Amino acid sequence: MKRAILFALATCLAGAATAATDPRTVPTQLSPEWQAKTRAVFKQAIEIPSVHNRGQTQKMAELLASQFRAAGIPDADIHIMPYEALPGDNTVALIVRWRSPKATQKPMLVLGHMDVVEAKREDWKFDPFVFREEGGYFLGRGSSDMKNGDVATTMAAVKLMSQGFKPNRDIIFFYSGDEETRGVGATLGATKWRNLTEAEFGLNADGGCGGYDRQFRPIGCGISMAEKTFQTYFFTTHNPGGHSSRPRPDNAIYDLTDALEKLRTHRFQPMLNETTRGYFTERSRQEGDSALGQAMRRWLANPGDGAAADEIEANPLEVGLTRTRCVATMLEGGHADNALPQSAKATVNCRIFPGVQPKDVQAELQAMAGPKVEVTPDPNYIGEPTPASPVRPDVLKAVTAAVQHFHGKDMHVFPVMSTGASDGSFFRAKGIPVYDVDGSWGISPDDERAHGLDERIPVRAMYDDVLHWEMLYKALAG
Amino acid sequence: MRHLLAAASVVAFATSAQGAAPAKLTDAQRAATHAMFEHVINTPTVIGRHKVPEMAQYVADQFKAAGFPEADIHVLPYHTESATTGADETAALIVRWRAEGTPKAKPIMLMGHMDVVEAKVEDSTTDPFVMTERDGYYYGRGTIDMKDGIVGVTQAMINLKAAGFKPKRDIAVLFTGDEETNGIGATKGASEWLDLLGHPEYGLNADGGGGGVNPDGSPAGFTMQSAEKTYAGYTLTVRNRGGHSSKPRKDNAIYDLMHALEKLEAYKFTPMMGPTTRAYFQGREKQEKGPLGDAMRRWLANNADTEAADFIEASESEVGLTRTRCIPTRLFAGHADNALPQLATAMINCRIFPGVDPNAIKSELERIVANPQVVVTRNDDRVASLGSPLRPDVTGAYTRAVQALHPGMPVFPEMSTGATDGRPFRVAGVPIYGTNGGWVVVPVDFRAHGKDERIPVQSLYDNVVHWQLMLRDLAGK
Repeated sequence: MKRAILFALATCLAGAATAATDPRTVPTQLSPEWQAKTRAVFKQAIEIPSVHNRGQTQKMAELLASQFRAAGIPDADIHIMPYEALPGDNTVALIVRWRSPKATQKPMLVLGHMDVVEAKREDWKFDPFVFREEGGYFLGRGSSDMKNGDVATTMAAVKLMSQGFKPNRDIIFFYSGDEETRGVGATLGATKWRNLTEAEFGLNADGGCGGYDRQFRPIGCGISMAEKTFQTYFFTTHNPGGHSSRPRPDNAIYDLTDALEKLRTHRFQPMLNETTRGYFTERSRQEGDSALGQAMRRWLANPGDGAAADEIEANPLEVGLTRTRCVATMLEGGHADNALPQSAKATVNCRIFPGVQPKDVQAELQAMAGPKVEVTPDPNYIGEPTPASPVRPDVLKAVTAAVQHFHGKDMHVFPVMSTGASDGSFFRAKGIPVYDVDGSWGISPDDERAHGLDERIPVRAMYDDVLHWEMLYKALAG
Repeated sequence: MRHLLAAASVVAFATSAQGAAPAKLTDAQRAATHAMFEHVINTPTVIGRHKVPEMAQYVADQFKAAGFPEADIHVLPYHTESATTGADETAALIVRWRAEGTPKAKPIMLMGHMDVVEAKVEDSTTDPFVMTERDGYYYGRGTIDMKDGIVGVTQAMINLKAAGFKPKRDIAVLFTGDEETNGIGATKGASEWLDLLGHPEYGLNADGGGGGVNPDGSPAGFTMQSAEKTYAGYTLTVRNRGGHSSKPRKDNAIYDLMHALEKLEAYKFTPMMGPTTRAYFQGREKQEKGPLGDAMRRWLANNADTEAADFIEASESEVGLTRTRCIPTRLFAGHADNALPQLATAMINCRIFPGVDPNAIKSELERIVANPQVVVTRNDDRVASLGSPLRPDVTGAYTRAVQALHPGMPVFPEMSTGATDGRPFRVAGVPIYGTNGGWVVVPVDFRAHGKDERIPVQSLYDNVVHWQLMLRDLAGK
């Protein structure tokens, strides 16, 4: 689940007015030798259709494992872990430990996933599981979500090993096999397999941070380091019902209607954390003197300024970033056209601000809805609140240095909070901070094709990503 | 689809001359009635469950066993379907009890329906399709709407035949199989099956009439249905682009729909009065000494007194009798819990005052919701229902039968707020009168279509006697 860059910046972008070069035409800094090695592994990875239920993820794990093995990682430190994801979907995770000969710090985790979203030949212009290079792009399912990250994190390590680099901390590679469906692998990785994954923090390759607009102006690099908690609630009303020819003063549908009218206008308390503060600081700079930029500055100066937060939340680019949000997504009610409803139910989907307990949101919804409505969490999925990862200066510095090395100073690096969930959430929930820091990039919105058709990545982005990770390993484990 | 009088009264009408006490059922007749009732309640004749033909055959078999000739018993399978209620293979039952010799008049039709409204086990205290006797009641879906009437009519005819009764005019039974949904059986009855029914002079509908007693045992009143509101369904539909639920949009199909329903909840249709409801309220105001009676008197004196009509409408006993009413009965919206809804719909069930065109109500709904995003469509093509003239022979027979079983019981003409199979017959020129003899305790037993539907045990047996009295009176002279 890749977080696309959600905002397309307006022309007010500061400092980017100078003539822009097409970033795809800039030559990569990766040597031809390592370009060839990277391309060969990437081709094999794309051509393994590691879609859920196809039983192909094992092959993907073996492909990556063989790279580590060839580079000198002993078999004892390579673990292919079988598990069941969706019922009947037997998949695997790969855990590799690159040991430090003399560790001075706790291990660092590198996260990725090997599975891809389904892609149908008839929907695509070409076979999604046949690797192609065309017009400055690599194409195929998983080329941007996220076999690029699997290959880059692996090849960067292999390259450093070949150069004799010795990390000063263990680097643990964890590649799950069901991020796109259930996240069972990440759950196991954060709990049952913790003896293999225990780390001070994690770097997630599932989420390229950078991008350019169609005029090739840099739109920044947002590092996801917090995410909202997913929790669905049911609003249920009950009534004795009766014959619809004799309307009662009370009615299950009207009771539900009243509650949803309240929900429509209900606003949770605005909240800022370290991540969103960093995000809005950068965004207010980008926005300059626009009304939105001014509201951001007012809110940052005074987090009690609810009106400013409301103005930000009302903007389609920023919706969901200032607080918990809940929205009605489904309704069902009644049992016959000619009978008063005996029950009515609304599905209310909430994205809860990091650190807020779902039971507190439930209590707030219940107080809002009143005693005629029963508010209960969806028993099929009880969200676990994830704390925002602290903004680590070392990670931010290393990523900024790497990103600006390839893209220049105008590519600003800033933290973001994701409104969806990824593998990182399971580790955050269990105490390992995670940062989404892949170095891939694309042209927004044309290259935002994760889960979609004709998925692709600029050739240069793939090759530079190897160097990007090389820089991160050196900076954070050297 | 049943309306029962909800009047609470301690003052009775002057009673008519007392006749001889009515014959009671024998133990064997009581046992036969119980067995038939249990069998039909336990047959879940809900649309889509394909059980109506089975019930029709069962009831036909009861007539055959009692000696009615096979040539006069017709189980008529038919298909029922609509966009909103689903589809089913259902059936009607027609039984013709022919007069001895030359009939004195055209036939009397006896009507009822065999289907019931859905009932869910999880919404009920006991399984609604297992008849349960408890605390002096029979519980189960259809106990008052209206398998009591099916059993009452059928057992009365069986008992009369066994007693040697010979009708002087034909009696034609029509039990339909989709009254609660599409009413196709009644439409066929009023057209292609009229020959089988012998072109009746009028119909007596067991799915109408009936009465109530107060919790203290005092009589509340019986009604004879002679007019009915038009049943019409509408759908409110809202469409939206949708999107990911992590990014709520300002516009949302569910919220637009909810807002429309809030407006509908607050809306009051204009009060109306027709000949049947005028006669009804003239009877009712005599019973009501308090503020409700005062409002009735004010409204009868001045039909423009909207405030008085509103007061009457707000009373639990009179709801639906002063105007058209529309109420949401079903909701559907959304396609995934993590996606903004692209479609939200509400079914609006309207009961339209007799004579008002359902298309006019569609326009009125559009004005009420006042939002072009909320599209109003009709679910059916029903035309406006008409009232039936009050016939002295029928009102007399009904009043005598009621008062024979319930001395001192007041009887009123009634406009039914529920639609019945009577509508297409009325539209086709055959007057229909709802004249069932069942009774319930008001208002606690008003559970037709609702939870834990039930009938007092004695009411079931009284109704058999009631129909015997009615048939002796109207077809025996």
